[in-house]
Amino acid sequence: MVGLLAEHADVFWSGFKVTTRLALYSFIIALVIGVIIASFRVSPIPPLQRFAAGYVATFRNSPLLVLFFIFYFGFTKLGIQFNEFLTAVIVLSAYTGAYLGEAVRSGINAIDVGQAEAARAVGLGFVQLLSLIIIPQALRTVVAPISNLFIANAKNTAIAVSISVRELTFVARQVGSSEADYVSAFLGAALLYMVSLLFAGAIFGWIEKRVAIRR
Amino acid sequence: MSAVLTEQLGPRGRRRVRAANAVAIVFILALAAFVIYRLQATGNFEGSLWEEFIDYETQWPQYLLAGLGYTIRAALTAMVLATIVGFIAALGRLARSRPVRWIARAYVEGFRSVPLLIFILFAYLGLQQLGLAFISPFSALVIALTTYNGAVLAEIFRAGVLSLGRGQSEAASAIGLNYWQSMRLVILPQAVRRMIPSILAQLATLTKDTSLGYIIGYEELLRRAGRLGEQSPSNNLQAFFVAGVIYFIVIYLLSRLASRLEVRQRRKYGAGRVEAGAGLEDIDALGVEADVSEQRLREPAISA
Repeated sequence: MVGLLAEHADVFWSGFKVTTRLALYSFIIALVIGVIIASFRVSPIPPLQRFAAGYVATFRNSPLLVLFFIFYFGFTKLGIQFNEFLTAVIVLSAYTGAYLGEAVRSGINAIDVGQAEAARAVGLGFVQLLSLIIIPQALRTVVAPISNLFIANAKNTAIAVSISVRELTFVARQVGSSEADYVSAFLGAALLYMVSLLFAGAIFGWIEKRVAIRR
Repeated sequence: MSAVLTEQLGPRGRRRVRAANAVAIVFILALAAFVIYRLQATGNFEGSLWEEFIDYETQWPQYLLAGLGYTIRAALTAMVLATIVGFIAALGRLARSRPVRWIARAYVEGFRSVPLLIFILFAYLGLQQLGLAFISPFSALVIALTTYNGAVLAEIFRAGVLSLGRGQSEAASAIGLNYWQSMRLVILPQAVRRMIPSILAQLATLTKDTSLGYIIGYEELLRRAGRLGEQSPSNNLQAFFVAGVIYFIVIYLLSRLASRLEVRQRRKYGAGRVEAGAGLEDIDALGVEADVSEQRLREPAISA
């Protein structure tokens, strides 16, 4: 296994880089989507509440692979030209965004009513109240679920193999097939995922210690 | 919830909300209209692209529904096996012997930081290479789902047992029950009842994940939709859409049932779905963590 990995180190490395970029970009966009969706759900505007609820229900109850295919073929049918990487980023962020929306909403619900009352007392409007007072605290309350979602999202990048994004899983399958040694190739990929995700988990643990609010 | 963030509105506030309502409706309708217009313009609503999915003569509905049957078969088989594996791993994590605890912990934590797809590919291509040529896509999918979900369920079980608190096991040993007796007679009957909503939610996640069998060619719903799409590429989008709707219905019903039961239990026992261990609750493919965290966050409010 070591031999095979050393021999194809550059290929694995390029796959690993694609996976990392995929995981980071999609998670950042997903965070934005999550905050927007959560804001919609707590807004006093029923159409936005329903839109957000529908969005969350749709994406949380559909298999990710199905979403990959629907977006991939959908974009083609609509005549929109996106490359596979961009499509994967869009699908992953839309999917993880729905989960993050729920996580942020639970953070908002956990915040004491007094915060909102005080903000209104000093004259903040709803948007200011949300963006200056509520959301920053809400995010800090749900650092642990957010970190779990980061890791889940990073693992889900593997599914991009279905639309031929050249990420780690794709590369491992390719090397495994050309060298007729799937066992080493997949074990190597699994090890890379495991080490980097345990590392990411440790970073989030550190962030959590610094910023998290315990309730 | 929004009552927390907005107070009783005055006349000006009500006017603003009405205006925002109108803007939001226009915006959402415009978005929907745009997508529908584009799909219409590219001819995706042509009746001929859809009618084959509801026409029994074409055999398509039967073909897809049989695929759903294979999806359910894989999901249920893996769920039963994963429950057994998870149960054993949870006992391992709660065991008194340190090496046993350590092995169980390595299994639970290690297996949860690798993508499920790697397990599936390994169980199919890797095991065949190791000489297990008889591995079919079905057994590979079940093996992968079992090992992976076993690790997730182990945490749910462990949390269920721990949620009972020390008092129960102390009382059990006080009346002279040994470890296994107290597990069987006192701890598990209570813990299992509390775990049912989490287990159902995990079943919904697992059903979602069976779609990954597509990649190794297991003939489940998504693979069959893909085959229809290959057979007539003009409506491949429609094929995946129909499959998506079927998945949605099944998974939505399962997760609704799970949250229904959870609400009922919370009312009954004052406790909801059990939460997996601190910092470990990634009930993966993004399963239930949001609800779990919500419950954890709500708990102090209940006890206060």
